[in-house]
Amino acid sequence: MSVEGQSVTGPQESSTPVATAAVPTPRRAVVVGGNRIPFARSGGAYTKSSNQDMLTAALDGLIARFGLQEERIGEVAAGAVLKHSRDFNLTREAVLGSALSAETPAYDLQQACATGLETVLGLANKIKLGQIDSAIAGGVDSASDAPIAVSEGLRQVLLDLNRAKTLPQRLQVLSRLRPKDLSPDAPNTGEPRTGLSMGEHQALTTAQWNVSREAQDQLAFASHRNLAAAYDAGFFDDLMTPYRGLTRDSNLRADTTLEKLATLKPVFGKSLGAEATMTAGNSTPLTDGASTVLLAAEEWADAHDLPKLAAVVDGEAAAVDFVHGKDGLLMAPAFAVPRLLARNGLTLADFDFYEIHEAFAGTVLSTLAAWEDEEFGRTRLGLDGAFGTIDRTKLNVNGSSLAAGHPFAATGGRIVASLAKMLHAKGSVDGRPARGLVSICAAGGQGVVAILEAL
Amino acid sequence: MTTVQPVILGEMPSLSKLYVNAAAQAARRRVLGSHDGSDLPEASHEVRGVTPDVGNLTAFQHLIGETASDVLPAGFIHALAFPLAISVMNRDDFPLPLLGMIHLSNHVEQRSPVLFSERLDITARVENLRGHRSGTQLDVVAEVRVTGSPRIRWRGVSTYLAKGVFLPGIDKPSPVASRSDFKVPDPTALWQLGVDTGRAYAAVSGDFNPIHLSVLSAKALGMRRSIAHGMYLASRALADVGAVKGDSFSWHVDFEAPVFLPGRVALDISTVQLPGGTWQKSEFVAWNPRSGRRHFAGAVAAL
Repeated sequence: MSVEGQSVTGPQESSTPVATAAVPTPRRAVVVGGNRIPFARSGGAYTKSSNQDMLTAALDGLIARFGLQEERIGEVAAGAVLKHSRDFNLTREAVLGSALSAETPAYDLQQACATGLETVLGLANKIKLGQIDSAIAGGVDSASDAPIAVSEGLRQVLLDLNRAKTLPQRLQVLSRLRPKDLSPDAPNTGEPRTGLSMGEHQALTTAQWNVSREAQDQLAFASHRNLAAAYDAGFFDDLMTPYRGLTRDSNLRADTTLEKLATLKPVFGKSLGAEATMTAGNSTPLTDGASTVLLAAEEWADAHDLPKLAAVVDGEAAAVDFVHGKDGLLMAPAFAVPRLLARNGLTLADFDFYEIHEAFAGTVLSTLAAWEDEEFGRTRLGLDGAFGTIDRTKLNVNGSSLAAGHPFAATGGRIVASLAKMLHAKGSVDGRPARGLVSICAAGGQGVVAILEAL
Repeated sequence: MTTVQPVILGEMPSLSKLYVNAAAQAARRRVLGSHDGSDLPEASHEVRGVTPDVGNLTAFQHLIGETASDVLPAGFIHALAFPLAISVMNRDDFPLPLLGMIHLSNHVEQRSPVLFSERLDITARVENLRGHRSGTQLDVVAEVRVTGSPRIRWRGVSTYLAKGVFLPGIDKPSPVASRSDFKVPDPTALWQLGVDTGRAYAAVSGDFNPIHLSVLSAKALGMRRSIAHGMYLASRALADVGAVKGDSFSWHVDFEAPVFLPGRVALDISTVQLPGGTWQKSEFVAWNPRSGRRHFAGAVAAL
């Protein structure tokens, strides 16, 4: 079977030098800073807090940090993956409940786990185009306060009841109700087209790329160790506002060991032919939390006497045909990064920090394995050989989702704010600004990736 | 062969009446001795000007995972023609007992799309009576045309087995080589089928065969639990293949172990491309994720 790839400069990419030259260089969009609330395991400290509560808390912390009270921001964009239908204007409502000027417009965005990073890229583009001078990107999710829908049977009856005009019609509609219609529909992490949960999908990919249990546990261990060290060093002091008694991510296990991780039983991939290797330790738990990032044009940051940590250089989205197993559900970044780097004339080795979202340890390791694979590079990416390898000491150096937790839409904001701070501290490397790569996989076979550069 | 005029029915026969009639016929044959013919009836049955109900169509599409477009899913057309097919097997001159027949396989050619707004002429006939290692099998052929047009839009051949029934003059075929060992692939989908799956499909397809409805009604017919409709499973697999199949395609399925309800079904769909990368076919196979037993397998291919 021949499998066509997603070549780095495919026919759909019209990135000819002529076209590029014709586009004037836009102004920069910079990351001023960020703020999030600590992430809490679901059913924990934020159980009764709504998405709007948490997003407003993160937003108010950002406003306080950068003195934005009564400021009219160009635009605020945020989103949530698990969202109540009443929250159709979640972000605007959070703005109205915050100390920002009530004249600040806002919109909601939803791209599964890539929501947070996509709000950063979309707003950065508006800044670059001169449409706005300042923006706040963000995301929030609550797995505890998740929406629960009435059953399809009850929903149809209620809708028809609303349309019925006479009493006999209403009674006739009501007579269709059955006891089972009263049981609710809770959201789940199953992919709609396959019925497989995200963990089961990743288990297939993990097995396909021969990622070992030990390698996954090692990555999880490093995530906890790095995040704990970052807290101890005060790294999050200007990136976080305490909320509901939490000052640290409640999923963090500073004292975990490889031995402890090795004792956990596999939870995904148990019915596959291959050995099951994915445990609760090397998979992210359901989490509640919110994050925000302040973006601006350089002039705006200067006029407000605010820092400029890093520039949002470029971003790329990709999607894979996972439905019939051509690629793994969470492998889209494996295609997005090579395209993004080709457009920017960079190689995988040209980065000082790699922030690869740890949906599962297996996701990170499968992506790295694909990039190191000659066959994948040639047949799927259209390159001469393997795409490249990374220096693992530059990977998720202050911890990532395995330790911090992963409130779906809030992860992008967490990563961008942390990376911008790390880049700014690093300054320049070999006479060029320090460079960071962000990679986030998402449900539906999607992925969004971005490049940030130190200022 | 003499051409037998088709029997034109005034309207689509009622399946429930056909099932009741079949039960009565089975009782009658038990008392009066079995039917002694070994020939299939030559007459075909026809209903003209059939219009699908759009509400029913939408419910069918949603149940099997198709987008509610204006094109009839190939499985929906099968359900539309099904009562007519049963009516042929319900004739007094039909030599096999209708009740308890097992659906072995189904082959459909969707030659061009049928819209829900079109009036349809549907014919059904039986043919190809032949032996099977455990009974007697035959094909039911249904054809669908748009009223007034000679061109066949949809053609379905359903193969049924009357288990344990051996008719004089029909030889048992030599036993086929033992089924090749089935090696369970990685699934591309996992279906959770609730206990009401049979009732839900009965409601949209009209096929209220008791073996699909409840544990009790299934037990009355000798099943251990109720089982999913084969055409429900096959229609879901067809929907899962997706838009790549285009407007005209063939769709084949062989049914093996029944799917007891409630239950989980694992499915693998693999795409076969021509050297240029053009889609040639999608092969599918479904199995019980616990036991590894194969439930059904088939393919959707370009016509």
